[in-house]
Amino acid sequence: MSGYLAYLAKRLGQFVLVVFIGVNIAYVVTHATPIDPVEQSISAVTSFGNTAPEAIEQMRQSLKELYGVGGSWREQYFTFWSRILRADFGPSMSAFPTPVSALIGRALPWTVGLLVVSTLVTWALGNLLGGLAGYYQRSRSFKLMGVVAMGLHPIPYYIVALMLLIVFGFLWPVLPITGGSAMNLPQGWTLAFIGSVLKHSILPALSLILIGVGSWFLGMRSLVSNIVTEDYVQFAELGGVNRRRILGSYVMRNALGPQVTGLAMSLGGIFNGAIITEKVFGYPGVGTLLVDAVYAGDYGLVLGVTTISILGVSAGVLAIDLLYPLFDPRVQVA
Amino acid sequence: MSGPVALHTPTTPVAGAALASDPVLRVNDIQAHFRTQHFGVSREVRAVDGVTFDVRRNEIYGLAGESSSGKTTLIKTIAGAIKPPLQVVGGSVQFSFMPGYPGLHAAPAAEVERVRWRHLSYVMQGSMNVLNPMRRVISTFQDFAWRHLGGSRKQFEERVVAHLARVRLDPAVLRAYPHELSGGMRQRVTIALATICKPDFIIADEPTTALDVIVQKDVLGMIRSIQQEMGSSVLFVTHDMGVHAHLTDRLGIMYGGRLVEEAPTPEIFSRPLHPYTVYLIGSLPRIGDDTPRKSLEGSPPNLADPPTGCRFHPRCPLAMEVCARQVPPMVESLPGHRVACHAVNPGAAA
Repeated sequence: MSGYLAYLAKRLGQFVLVVFIGVNIAYVVTHATPIDPVEQSISAVTSFGNTAPEAIEQMRQSLKELYGVGGSWREQYFTFWSRILRADFGPSMSAFPTPVSALIGRALPWTVGLLVVSTLVTWALGNLLGGLAGYYQRSRSFKLMGVVAMGLHPIPYYIVALMLLIVFGFLWPVLPITGGSAMNLPQGWTLAFIGSVLKHSILPALSLILIGVGSWFLGMRSLVSNIVTEDYVQFAELGGVNRRRILGSYVMRNALGPQVTGLAMSLGGIFNGAIITEKVFGYPGVGTLLVDAVYAGDYGLVLGVTTISILGVSAGVLAIDLLYPLFDPRVQVA
Repeated sequence: MSGPVALHTPTTPVAGAALASDPVLRVNDIQAHFRTQHFGVSREVRAVDGVTFDVRRNEIYGLAGESSSGKTTLIKTIAGAIKPPLQVVGGSVQFSFMPGYPGLHAAPAAEVERVRWRHLSYVMQGSMNVLNPMRRVISTFQDFAWRHLGGSRKQFEERVVAHLARVRLDPAVLRAYPHELSGGMRQRVTIALATICKPDFIIADEPTTALDVIVQKDVLGMIRSIQQEMGSSVLFVTHDMGVHAHLTDRLGIMYGGRLVEEAPTPEIFSRPLHPYTVYLIGSLPRIGDDTPRKSLEGSPPNLADPPTGCRFHPRCPLAMEVCARQVPPMVESLPGHRVACHAVNPGAAA
């Protein structure tokens, strides 16, 4: 047990280090952009009519202070970290004075809801079908499924997304093509609102699932077709072990390891938002927020989104590392 | 013993041997071929081509032969592990506990399920990897044997623990994963697994090949003692003649997909008749004898395009004109000693 604690401590230290380095890189990259948010805001304000130069200078000073970009780079850097540690990313520069955390907090439920569900569905569906296809290699329908997966897989995501929009938005207009819910509904736990959210999520979720299932399917199929030739599977077949037990506990279970790691990685990646999905379907999530922030030079917001995403991915990997010994008895900590 | 009444019906050469006690397994002229078809070119490898033998109750029958002699395919056929491109082309494999079906490959699924592990079990080649690495040993026992033995979970586990004592294993191994056990322990687990249902027939396919000599001796002794205790029959396959001499009661020698000689094990070693067997026995080292061993010229036959007649004739020092023309029949040349060779049985070919 003390071995596990030592491992845990080491792994947590690693986690903190990875997050620290990741956030620093994000900080450097965002601050290296040529867009100056202060000038951006000032030009937005001064574009309508005359403003006295003294007033502009005053505005510049107060904006710099608010944005946390005043002073030397060292002061800026320490201000940034002291804010991060308090989970405060400062005010957004493009949606001033809304705090960055409020913007992210508003967008995150949309993204997480959409992506958690579609990632889990994609993963479960792809692995189940891929596992069956690897086990019943001679079945015609699974062979056909393999061909379809192989054909769908290389199609660029945005083509599939636009095709869905064209089919279900114009040719046979049954589903809403943009937004997260109907505009005229108040947000809350009402049946009408939840129904509207579900309806709006069908197309984006479907596009993600269609494109994602193929790679899980192909991956799992090849993993399983290796496992079925293992001695212990053949032995179990000769032993007359129940077919379903063989498929579940001997074949699928043993093939699942790499797939579980992959799932954790993609769940961690959820906090990135699915940028293309959110753009194509006008979904009010983190991806849209991030792209808009980049355009506006709103590096407070960019940093906020990237920090959360760095935390998400690292936490996903950490969770898998800590849970793996439970999943595969051969993995030892110590 | 069925008494002197039915002695010698001269039409079937096997009858004499079969009378000693009723056979548990009767393999009759079995033929199993690999048939593949690639780009319109079909290819047939006759891995097992007309093998006939019996395994009696309570005996250890050894099967010997070099690589590519077809012994693994024969085992697969007997075990009903027929997967394309392997096909049973003819003949039958009759088990006394599965009357009415010409082999597992031709029996309905329910019958196969009834028989597997209850009546017929295996100790496999490469036993290192036959246990599921993700399952505790007790779960593997449950998967294989619980449906036959029945009882509550606790009763079943007590039974497994009692049985493990026979192979000198501590009950703690049940909670272990396979990778936590040593090679010898794992092999003992698989032997315990194969014998827990007290099956009538056990197929042992090179079970000792991957073990070092000390563990090998231990494992062989264990197979022998459990077999005698339970009265099971064992079909023991290995290319290791030393193991055969040590363990088996009768021995069949395979060459090129056919059985060429069969006799009680001591007799094969003291009095081999088939020229191939003579070479095989002659190649074994003996203490104190340091004359160089002669190796056999040529290489094993290509079973996709086997030699006509006797498959050994291109390498045989005694080859005659008839050998290339006619397949030599398996004839009981001496009591209980069958040989397929024109030189040993002149005039046997009709």
